[in-house]
Amino acid sequence: MWTWFYKLASPPYVYGVAAVLAPWLLGAAALAMGYGLIAGLAIAPPDYQQGQAFRMIYVHVPSALLSLTVYTVMAAASAVALIWRIKVGHAVSAASAPIGASFTILALVTGSLWGRPMWGTYWAWDPRLTSELILLFLYVGVMSLRLAFEEPSRGDRAAALLAIVGVVNVPIVHFSVVWWNSLHQGATIVKLGAPSMPGSMLWPLLSMWLGFMLFFAAVLCIRLQGEVLNRERQSTWVREAVKS
Amino acid sequence: MMNSSFWAMGGYARYVWPCFAFACVVLAWNLWSARRFRVAAQLRARRAAEMAMAGVGES
Repeated sequence: MWTWFYKLASPPYVYGVAAVLAPWLLGAAALAMGYGLIAGLAIAPPDYQQGQAFRMIYVHVPSALLSLTVYTVMAAASAVALIWRIKVGHAVSAASAPIGASFTILALVTGSLWGRPMWGTYWAWDPRLTSELILLFLYVGVMSLRLAFEEPSRGDRAAALLAIVGVVNVPIVHFSVVWWNSLHQGATIVKLGAPSMPGSMLWPLLSMWLGFMLFFAAVLCIRLQGEVLNRERQSTWVREAVKS
Repeated sequence: MMNSSFWAMGGYARYVWPCFAFACVVLAWNLWSARRFRVAAQLRARRAAEMAMAGVGES
């Protein structure tokens, strides 16, 4: 089992695995999102309170969950890179940051669009919204810090430290609706006990969530190939790989 | 053909459809930018390999 884990530290192995996995993950993501979209928009019944506006949940919730997941992946990869000095960890962290930032923007924009008809405002300095905005700033900070040094390895270390320190914001975003008074509704899916949604609404949501996760994994594989090539381009294996 | 009540989304169309449209934009941007990033890296690596074969240091 550990052999498989050790192999993940090898850039040529990671490059090869990412190249094989990316198209399969993308295909699986398209299937999951296709079902989620059709069932969520056309089959799920309207909500008894929010009417048809609740359908924004099929984009907003998966993007918000993904923004937290990607940050956790980025912080874990950074920790692996710093503790065990595994260079691929920095590559995973660098490849994850722009994806996570884009899904955080998506969560904020779709939340705004949902907030206007439900709360009467596009934005409020609510604990959930504010902590999600801080998450976006953390992503931007990690990306900027990586580019702020002339020596790439110093940029990697500084960005990794910020990513690890910033992970404290992830539980704050998730539990903000529990710890403080919030306009935002409480947890619907990720909570102790059964989800508070009927199956006809829940299954399309879970499918969209799975689709977003698979899409992240696919895009991460593609970006990771680029990161590994950029970092290893003086290596013999890269010269051999780009010649073929 | 979808009926007009589907597109009207119970009066929330101006919020629901931009929400899904923006999601499509973000998904498309992610895929496009990741592929562009990989292609650029492949070109750089190829150039570095060619320069190494020619015995010139990369700038």
